[in-house]
This record gives sequence, C-alpha cells and structure tokens, in this order.
Amino acid sequence: MTQRYRIGIDTGGTFTDFVLADDSGRTWLFKVESTPERPTQALAEGFRQIQATLGIGPADLLAATELAVNGTTIALNALIQHAGAKVGLLATAGHEDSLEIRLGQKEQGYRYDPTYPPPRMLVERFLRRPVRERIVGDGSILTPLNENDVVEACTFFREQGVEAVAISYVWSSINPFHEQRTAEIVRELLPGVYVSVGSDVLPQIREYTRTSTAVLNAYLGPCIERYVKEVDGFFAEYGAAARLRYFQSNGGMASMEAFARKAVYAVNSGPAAAPRAGTFVARPLGLEKIITVDMGGTSFDVALCHSGRTNIAKNVDFLRYRLGIPVIQVEMLGAGGGSIASVDRYGMLHVGPRSAGVAPGPACYRRGGELPTVTDANVVLGYLNPQALLAGRLPIDAEAARKAVAEHIAAPLGVSVDKAAYGVFRVVNSNMVAGIRRVSVERGYDPRDFSLVAAGGATGAHITALAREIGIRSVLVPKLASGLCAFGQVLSDVKYSYMAACPARLDERTDFLRIEWMFQDLEAEGIRRLQREGFSDEDIRIERSLDIRYVGQIHECTVPAGMGRLAPEMLPLLRSRFDRIHQRLFTYCEPDSPLEIVNLESTLYGVTPEFKVAPHDDSGADDDPVIAHRQVHLGQGDAAVPMTVPVYDGTRIRCGQAILGPALIEEPTTTILLEEGWQAVLEPNGVYRLTDQWVRSV
Amino acid sequence: MKRNVDPITLAVVRGVLETTQREMTLTLEKTARSSVFNVAHDYSNAIFNHRPEMILQGQDIPIHLGSMIPAMKFVAQYFEDGIHEGDVIYHNDPVNMGSHILDCCMYKPVFYQGELVFWTVCKGHVTDIGGPVPAGYNPDAKEIYAEGLRIPPVKFWDKGVMRKDVVNFYLANVRSRRDQEGDLRAQLGAVTVGERNLIALLDKYGVQTVRDCIDELMDMADRHMREIIRSVPDGTYAASAVLEDAGHGFGDITISASVTIEGDECAIAISSPPQIPYFINSYEGNSISGVYLGLMMFTQVDPPYNEGLYRCIRVDLGPKGTLVNAQEPAPHVNCTTTPMETLADAVRLALEKAAPERAVGSWGHASGINIAGFDARNNEEYVTMVLASLISGAGATAHMDGWHACGPQCCFGALTSGDVEILEYSYPIVIHRYGLVQDSGGAGKYRGGCATEWEVEPIGHEMTVISFGEGRKYPSIGANGARSHMIDSKLARIDLKAGEKVTETLRKNVVLQIQDGQRVSAINPGGGGWGSPFEREPERVADDVRNGFVSFEAARQDYGVAVSEEDFSVLVEETRQLRAHAI
Repeated sequence: MTQRYRIGIDTGGTFTDFVLADDSGRTWLFKVESTPERPTQALAEGFRQIQATLGIGPADLLAATELAVNGTTIALNALIQHAGAKVGLLATAGHEDSLEIRLGQKEQGYRYDPTYPPPRMLVERFLRRPVRERIVGDGSILTPLNENDVVEACTFFREQGVEAVAISYVWSSINPFHEQRTAEIVRELLPGVYVSVGSDVLPQIREYTRTSTAVLNAYLGPCIERYVKEVDGFFAEYGAAARLRYFQSNGGMASMEAFARKAVYAVNSGPAAAPRAGTFVARPLGLEKIITVDMGGTSFDVALCHSGRTNIAKNVDFLRYRLGIPVIQVEMLGAGGGSIASVDRYGMLHVGPRSAGVAPGPACYRRGGELPTVTDANVVLGYLNPQALLAGRLPIDAEAARKAVAEHIAAPLGVSVDKAAYGVFRVVNSNMVAGIRRVSVERGYDPRDFSLVAAGGATGAHITALAREIGIRSVLVPKLASGLCAFGQVLSDVKYSYMAACPARLDERTDFLRIEWMFQDLEAEGIRRLQREGFSDEDIRIERSLDIRYVGQIHECTVPAGMGRLAPEMLPLLRSRFDRIHQRLFTYCEPDSPLEIVNLESTLYGVTPEFKVAPHDDSGADDDPVIAHRQVHLGQGDAAVPMTVPVYDGTRIRCGQAILGPALIEEPTTTILLEEGWQAVLEPNGVYRLTDQWVRSV
Repeated sequence: MKRNVDPITLAVVRGVLETTQREMTLTLEKTARSSVFNVAHDYSNAIFNHRPEMILQGQDIPIHLGSMIPAMKFVAQYFEDGIHEGDVIYHNDPVNMGSHILDCCMYKPVFYQGELVFWTVCKGHVTDIGGPVPAGYNPDAKEIYAEGLRIPPVKFWDKGVMRKDVVNFYLANVRSRRDQEGDLRAQLGAVTVGERNLIALLDKYGVQTVRDCIDELMDMADRHMREIIRSVPDGTYAASAVLEDAGHGFGDITISASVTIEGDECAIAISSPPQIPYFINSYEGNSISGVYLGLMMFTQVDPPYNEGLYRCIRVDLGPKGTLVNAQEPAPHVNCTTTPMETLADAVRLALEKAAPERAVGSWGHASGINIAGFDARNNEEYVTMVLASLISGAGATAHMDGWHACGPQCCFGALTSGDVEILEYSYPIVIHRYGLVQDSGGAGKYRGGCATEWEVEPIGHEMTVISFGEGRKYPSIGANGARSHMIDSKLARIDLKAGEKVTETLRKNVVLQIQDGQRVSAINPGGGGWGSPFEREPERVADDVRNGFVSFEAARQDYGVAVSEEDFSVLVEETRQLRAHAI
C-alpha cells in the first residue's frame, strides 16, 4: 500500500469526529458518539467505521499514517465538573490568597444576585502554604528562600495526599531562582507528584494571573497525564508509525510530553482548530477575512481570522478562572442545538445556557429529554428533517419536538407553536450575534467585512439568518462543516509558545542586544525540542512579538516583531505598528507618547507539509437533486410564515450549480437552510459559497 | 396597561440594550488613561429614553447610578428646547443632582430622523478636579467652593463641534491634563458607541416598536419591584445606623430611616442631623443613590434594571441643610463612601424589620489609604489612592456565606485592586502582604466574607500615608439575628509597624510619614453575617477553622463550636455544652 494518511480526531462533548485525509487530497468524515468515561472506546468505534467504509483495518491504517492528531475536551470537562487533581500551592509568605482575592472583583451580571457563589477554589486555603522568600521588581533578593518552609510544606502535602503542587512566587518572572530551587526540593521529596512552576508555565508579570495559570496547570496536569497515557497505549497497540500529537488551545499541536507538562494548554483546544480550517477553505475563493462559527450540541464557539492570523487572547477569565497563556480567542456561548429554551415567571423567553446535552438530549431524540431545545424548535420549523438526521442514523420524533415547544414555550407566551419555535430560533440567533460582536466589534473589526465559515453540525440551519442579522453577505459552508475542527487539526503545525517578562522603556536607549539575547535563549530551547521531535531546521519557523503599551497604561498590545534579529533600526517600525494596533483596538493613538515593553514572546512552529485538497468529485451528481418539498416556517419580520421549499440532496449537487433560497440542502452530517434572497454555489473545493443577493437598503 | 408587544422582539431588544451597555463599558475601560478608570473600573454607563427615563441601568458602581436618574432630568430641563443633534453635555454639580465633584458625567442626546429618542450617559471618577488637594479629597474644606471645580450642565460639543474654549477652560482647572484629556476622549467614545448601536436598533425595528418594547421592560421592572414590596407586610418600620467619628471631632452621627409599606407602594423617609463643616455631607442626588442601594440590597430583584424599579418608591431625605440632604455651601467630597454606606445600612435595616429572612448582611465599609512620595527611579512625585487597601468582605445572604474580598459596600464588587507586581512596578514600594484576614467575617449561620490586609513599605524614601474612611469602631451589621462576640477582629484598623512588629494601632483618619524599615498595614472590615451563628453547622465551622478563616477561639466564642486542634474535627460533646450554655 502506497497511500499515506493523516487523521484528525476531535473529541467533543457530544460527538467524536474523525477526519481522514489521504495524500491525493481526498477527505472523509466519520462521527461517533463520545465516551467521556472511557476515551479509547470512541476511538475504537471510529476505526471500526473507517474499516467498514474504506476496508482498511486500524493496524494497516496507522502504519500508513504520517500524522495523527487528537483534540480533546478532557481538560475542559475536568474543569467544568471540578474533577481535577488535589493541588497544593507554595506561595510567597503574605501572598497565599491572591487566588481567592481575585483582585477584589465580582463578575458583571451577578452583582445583586444573592445566590451567585464565588468560583470554587482549585486549591483549598489550608493547602496554600507560605514560604518565606522575597524577590523585588529589579530581580534582587530581599529575603532569601527559606528551604525549611518548603520541606515542611512537602511533609504536609504528603500527609494530605496532594497529587499536584503549584509553585508561584512574587516577581518569579524576573528572577526564577527561588521557584526553581523549590521545584527541585519538591520533586525530590514528593516523587510522582505533578509539579507546576509559575515562571515556567507563564513567565510574565502579574502574579495573580501567573499563580492562577500555574494552579490550573497543576489542577489539570495529572488527568491529562493519565489521558495521554491511555490514548498513546491504544495507538501503540496497533503499532502506529507516527506518534500521536495533541491539539492545544493556542491553535497548534504538541508532543505527548509537552502536552502533559503544560496541561493548561489543553483547556479549550477543540474549537481552536476552526480558524486554520476556515482559512484553508476560504483562501482558494479569495477570502482572507473570516469568522468561524461552530454550533455543536452544547455550545457555540466563535473565532476570528484575518489573513491567516487569529485573535489571540491572554489574561482572560475562562470558566471564571484567570488564564494567562496566549490562546486563540474563542468566544464560547451556551447556545448549541441542545440548549434549552424556557419562559421565566415574568414571561421572558430565554435560550440556554442550560443544555440537554447528549443525555437526556433534545425532546425529538426521544432519549428522555422533555424540555424544548434549539434542535426541537428547528424540527418544528421544518428546518431539520422530521424523520431522521445523520443520514438516517439518528431518528427524529417531530411530534415530541412539537409537544415540548407547545407546553413550555407556546402556552406560557400565549402564541402558536410555530411562532414559539420561531421565537427560540430568533433568540438563540441574537445570542450568537453577541458572540460574533465579541470577536469582531470588541477587537476593532467590522464584522460586515468578513465571511462567516460554518463549522459544527447545527450551524447550517442558522447561518443565513445569523449572517443577515449582523449584516454579513458572504458565507461558506464546507461539506465537512460538522467535522471542521478535526479537519483543522490535520492542517496544523506543531506550536510552542515561549515567554519572558522584560519591563523596559522602548526608545533610542533600549538595550536591544539584551532583548535579542533573551529571545535567542527562549528559541534555543524550542529549537532543541522541535529537533528532538524530528523537525529539520528548514521546517522550523519562529515568530516574535512584544507586548507594548504607552507608559502609564495598564493594558498592553501584542506587536509582531518579525522573525529576524532585533536591532535599533526596528524602532520606528515597532512604533508605527504599535500605534496602528492601538488605533484599531481603541479608536485612537498617541504617536508622541513614550512606550514601554512589558513581555516578549517567541512562538516556534514545527511546520507540517502542506495539504492539497482534491477537487470535489461530483460524478454522483445529477440534474435534479431535489428530493422533496417540505413545509417550513420562514421569518418575515416578527412573524414566521409557512412556505413550501425544495429540499436538495447535497450529495447529488453539481459543482457550480446555483441554488436559490428559500431552500434546504441536506448533507449527510449537516443541513443548510437558505433563507429567501440567498444563493448557494458548490465550489470545487467542496464548499458551498452562500451570497446574500438582497439589495441592502442603506 | 397592556400594549401589543411581541414577546420575542422584546427578548431581542433587551439583549441589544445589554450588549450596548457592555460595549460602552469596554470602550471606556480600554481607552481610559487614569488608573481610577482603567484599573479600578470606577465608572458607570446607562441609557435613557426621550422622556428622559433610565431604560438600562448597568451593573456598575451603585453610587453612580441612582443619582443619574434625577441628574439626567435636571440636565435635560436645563437646556429645555436647546438640545440638538451632535451635542455633548458635561456635568458634575452635586448641588444639582451630581454625586461628588470627582464623578464627571457625559450626556449625549441620540437623534433619529430629527427626533430626540435616547440619551447615552457615562459617568466616571476623574483623577483630579482641581482645588487645593491633588485627587480631590480635602479634609480641611469648610465649604464646597474649597473642594474643586463644580461643573453645571455645559455643552462640550455643540451640534457636533467641540467648544474648544469651554473644554480648555475645564482642562486648565484640573491636574494631570494629559490623563484627563484621555479620559474625556474615552467617555466620548463610550457615549458614541452607545449612540451607534441604538441607531442600528432603530433602523431594524423602527421607533414605535423599540419604544413599546422599552416601555414593556420598564413595566416589567415595576412589576418585579411591586411583587416584592407586596410580599412584605404593611406597616411602618424604622431603624438607624451610626456613623462613627473617624477623627473629625463632630462625634458619632446617627442616620435614621423609616419605611412605610402599603400594598405595593413603599415610602422611605430619612432623618439626619444638621450638616457639618466637614466633607461628609451628602447632597440629594448622592443620597438617592444610597437609598436605592439599601433598597436593592434588600429586594435583590431580578433584572431588567431600569427606572421602572423605583416607580413604587417614594423618597424623602428630610429637611434641606441636614447631613444627607445638604445644601450649599456644605463640603461633600467624601460622600460617595461616607455617609453613603451608613445611609444604605439604615434603609436596609428598616426593611429588614419588615422581612428579616430577606435581608442580607452589610458589606464592609470603605476604609483605605492614599500614598504619596518621590520616586527616585524616574524623578517624579507620585500620589495615588490604593484601591487594593479598600477591598473588604461582602455581607452574607440568606443563601450563602459572603464573598471574601469583594467590597466596599458602595462599589458592590465592581472595583478591581490590580496586581501586587503592577503596583510595585508603578511606585517605589514593597507590598509585604495582600491576604485575607482571619476572623474578620461577621459570625452567622452564614458567615460574612473576610476582609483583606494590605501591608506596604517604602523603598528608599519617606512616604506619606493618608488614611480615609470608617468601619474601625462599629463592625459591619449582620442580618436576621447574626451577631459576633469577637468584635475587634471584624473592624478596620491601620497598623504601624517596625519590620514585622506592630508599634501602633490607629483607628482614626490620620496622615503619617514613614521611612524604609517601617510599614503600614491597612486592614479593612469584613462583611456582616446572616442568621444565628449557633445555627451554623458545626462541620462548616470546623472547615473554616481548617482553612484559617476562623480561629479556634472564635469558633468557640462566635459559633459555640469546639474544634479539635489535632485533626480539625468537631468536638461534639463540648460543642453541645457551649451551645446549650449560650442559650
């Protein structure tokens, strides 16, 4: 067998998606139900499906696989369910409580809610132990490390059965010596315990963020270690040729060792693959500005990508925990197909954030769910096939959907069932628009300049309504939409981020040589790692950036600093780049104000060979792909009007054929609703290109 | 009155209004230059309709929001028909419904097809407002004229054109002009973003539909509030709260509230002693904020938040010339914390008498420090309010313990302290401690949240430390039978230290000079508890002891629970005796 393969496996909350790609550019998507209790079970089922379709068994397939990637929600679930490790924290004496003080804030939106609790502490207070030591802002030692405090704390941690230790001292980002020495002692005294060091996980200024990130890393570390061990064991059993890699929330892959050591990078890795895949499908059509929208079973994830660059978020609260590492900005909303709709006691309609998930699921799945979900509303409206989804594998009970919407929405609102269902559809769309604004408007971009790229099985039914709501006229729906993140994984590179704190003024007197050395130090480590993983020098790419702000500001902007040597000649360039970014983000800049550097960052990529997609094979197409006509309720202003629309079988549509809305296109793993005025054309790369033909009133 | 509003459009319009307020807030936070804005989030945004009623009250700083309601009406009436598209009005005048002169408020009328439809409003605490003392807090002022610049309603932009002379007149009278310019631009950004979003909303749904939805949202808020008031038994309930003499020499001051509930209407009458020549007098607008905060703490009503909430509320602040209904020339700058928090407590306590189970414990009041000195690293004088020194404990509720480190009460969790490293980078100081304070949370079935302690030492210079606020004599008041025996640890105080050793404990507002080797520790008050501490499950008390929130001694004294020093288990028999004995 000469065929070579890549496999992307995206383990989501509801489904595990397998995307298989061969070196002639063909792709296949397989979907199996996730098995969170026993992750290898879903893997085995996926390989069974592949074998059933393509006739290749797992051992042969893996022998011919050059790249296998796994993105997983295991860390996310551990955090949501508070099922992480028992963590002990070693902190500078006097600063053990920064986690619990949270900079003194209570989140917006809950100020007068007497029942809203503080976030659950990932380290209980009695497991936060003070260590006498102190370094100050210039890196000098004010109080030497009291090693005895560390030893005593280790004894205590052993008694308490602590599984992971986080070490975070004030100013360790400037001088990590005390933390490093402490880590040595802990590793010696507590062998087998996971150790997470602040200056290693996040060597940047801001002790609250750094401590919280180090603690998250410790909290997730042991469970990620167990997970990769199990999954690697599964692959080793079949004698896989290439080592399995893992997908990180920074949008790149990591080796098993790196993934386990910096477990915090696993925290929301799945959706971070969407921008890569989105860019890949949009580029051949000449589109460089995209917003990927991924509506799955439980959540709606949005990311923005501009000329191949994605928004990076640092210093954000993720599930109420401060996370400092650079991650792809993915706005996560509780707005999936399984999101539950309800009417509160004041008569307000709400959709989500509660979700019916896989179990009990939407009412129409008949798995015990009785509350109306977004999927139920879509079934009532006729947007989804009233008999079955997933090419017949998922039976649908339209009557159950109708009953759920009638009882829980239509009756309390005093409207018809169709109108109630349309209300659910509109409210969830309006929630999703808020998510799109967060990645665009709030980051200085006008969303109307962008194309939406649909990912996730549930997005297709909403995408034209959503686009029109926000004023976007160009939409792409790949046939692979429902497995787009798994597809993005096989297109991605290995990516490691290295950071250092470097507070300094940025002007003619800046010591550029020192900064250059700091960069080179960081990069030397990364290059060694990538070489060990088998990348040759020409496959290693480096991107540098500096976090810069006006002197006296609190928020920094990340400014790309190219790949080459840093030299004083670059000053005007950095200056103008910074001013431009500040202008875009904050509506103004001050070209005469002095600047200061806060942090520097080097991102190292181990570049994988480019993937070329084969032209879509439409030999199975015919002249009449309309397989049925179905009554749907389409929005006209506030009302939903019944209308009969053609239903197209997506597998029989020819490339280049134009389909006019209103219409439905049924693909095996997704359904596209084209509202009136939209036109869809199937492009040669297997992507439906949707355009709003309505003339925009000013 | 049932208007024909589509329930789904209503949900969508409500979402757009909330998004608009969020984007106004983000614009302000990210673009502002002074740390009070961008670190501490000491600002608030709101949207008004044409009448003008507040149609969306953001969940920002409570002290800003209540006064906006009458202030907006005052500003609109002041110009009568002279309001045009492109106008931007600035105002801070406490005598005419502003909060204190440091809270400067920008008002932008939003026009649609030539008609005034909305106002977008943004209020923020500026770095300085002129006057003899940097940052505006002048304890020596005997009159408002000695405190800083009063800005009656004035147009900064007229039909879209900036009135350069007027803006310059303002900027010439305040310190740190460059930061102030930046903050002004940030406020303009916020009200403009709000305007843009609202116009898009009108484009989509038309003026009448949007108006109907908004009226419905206000009726809804009115219904929510009336429903709660109706659930409270009719009657008149009175209570008072005592504001300690924190060093001004005028003695303790009692503020009383009398609340009359009749069906679904509520009348709140306040009485307070005559105003004094010290900066803790409160004018009408600020006092309305205090009354509304006390009301909101009690009612805990669900959103939407808008002016409809207050339709069934009547407020009488007592005769003019009294402490909480001050008149010219009373000095007032401290009013947003003192006496505002005590005023809110009086209202809350009166309402508690009507329905004790609904009440929440008081939050720790504002007690903190400002620091000033010379930074040799860049040859600059520095002065700053240390927001980290203000972070007190929150009150417990009928459902759970109070949040640690969330106050002061007047900010209700909206304030942010900033990182230790950021502060040490900005000022020549070492922060030796920023942690929670044991036994500071008020005892109760649900415990009040713990206070914080912030300990500082200057590096290589003499530093001036100015303490302000109160809460050092009377602890935060608990709710529904909560009480503590160990009072001292629940109070705020200032410890002066030589190294680790406390040399003096201060409970008054003072100005200190300290050198290298000396430290000042600012300890603020914890939150009040809820319910009898003897009803707290002994296991939870033991858990608090294990985690150091409560000491062994306080477990016995405050909660009647004996905890084993060996393994933190509850000593059952001893606990039974302790609790039986106390009853």
